[in-house]
Amino acid sequence: MPVSYAAIAATFARIASSSFGGGTLALARRELVTHRGWLTDDGFIEILSLAQVLPGPNLTNLAVLVGGRLRGPAGAALAFGAMMAPAYLLLMAIAATVVAGARLPWLTAALRGCAAGAVGLSLANAIELTFRFRRDLVVLAFIALSALAVGVAHLSLPVVLVILVPPAYVALRGRRR
Amino acid sequence: MLLRLGTVFAILSLLGFGGGRAIIPQMYRDTVVQQHWVTAAEFSRYFAISKLAPGPTTLTGALIGFAVAGITGSLVATLALYGPSSALCYGMGRIWDRFQGHPLRDGFAKAMGPVIIGLVWAGAAAIAEGALDLPFTYAIAGAVTIVLLTTKVNPIVTILAAGVAGAAFLR
Repeated sequence: MPVSYAAIAATFARIASSSFGGGTLALARRELVTHRGWLTDDGFIEILSLAQVLPGPNLTNLAVLVGGRLRGPAGAALAFGAMMAPAYLLLMAIAATVVAGARLPWLTAALRGCAAGAVGLSLANAIELTFRFRRDLVVLAFIALSALAVGVAHLSLPVVLVILVPPAYVALRGRRR
Repeated sequence: MLLRLGTVFAILSLLGFGGGRAIIPQMYRDTVVQQHWVTAAEFSRYFAISKLAPGPTTLTGALIGFAVAGITGSLVATLALYGPSSALCYGMGRIWDRFQGHPLRDGFAKAMGPVIIGLVWAGAAAIAEGALDLPFTYAIAGAVTIVLLTTKVNPIVTILAAGVAGAAFLR
C-alpha cells in the first residue's frame, strides 16, 4: 500500500518545525528511518549524499528525493511544500514587522547586532569546516584558492567551479573522505 | 521587474551546489553589486534574519524579493530559488534509483568539498562587508565566533544575544 499524502505532509512539516533549534538532520533520520521506516540507514545516507551534491538546500532536496521515491512528483511537491512553508511564513511575518518597524531605532540597532553576530556564525562555520583538513595541504590549497577566487578576485561561481573542480577531482581522487 | 527577479534567482538556484551557503557570495554579487536591489547593509541584515528563522539560509533571497516587490516579489524569488533545483533534484533522484553506487559520485563529492569550504569563507567576507563598521560590531562578530568554536551553544542563541547587544549599544 502506498504511503498516504497526509503522512508525507505531516512528517516533513514536523521535521521542518524542528529546524528552529538546529539538529534537523538528526531528526530527519529519526523520523524517516526509525519512526516511519521509509528508509534504511544506508538508504538515508545515500539519499543525503545525493541531496548534498545537487544544487539546492540539503533538507529540501532530501524532502524532494524521499517524497518522490514514495509517491512520485506529487509526493515530492508535497514534501517540499511541507518542508518550506513554516520557514517561509515565519520569515514573511518577521519581514513585515521589520518593514513596519523601520522607524524604530532599537529594532534597527538590534538587527545590526544580529548581522554582526551572523558574521561570527559564518566565520565559526568556515573555521570548523576547515579545521579537520588542517594537516592536508592539498585540500587547504583548494580551500584558499576557492575563497580567493570568489571573495577577492570576485569570479562568479560557475567560473570557479569549472576552474577548480577538475584539478581537485584529479588531486583528491585516491583519498579517503 | 518580477521577471528579472525570477531570472536572477532561478540561475542562482541551479548554482547552489553543496547547499545554500555556497551561493550567498554569488547572491550578494547579483543583488547588491550588479542589480542594486538592496544595499550591502540591508543584505547583511536579511542574511541575519534568515539565519534566525528556520529553513535554508538562501531564504535571504525571499527577503530581497520582499524588499523589491512585496509579497509577490518574495513568492517569485522563493519559487525561482527552489523550483529549478528541486526539479533537477527530482529528476536526478529518479536516475539515481536506477544507477546505484557509481564511483564518479564519490570522486565528485571529494572534489567539491574544499571548493565549498572556500565559498563559506568568501560568504563570511561578503556578509562582513555590510555588517562590520563600528568597533563594537567587530567585537560582536569576534565574540560569537569564539563562543561557537569553544562551546556547544545553539547558534540561534548567539544571534539573539548579538541582537540584544546591538539594541543596547548600537543606537
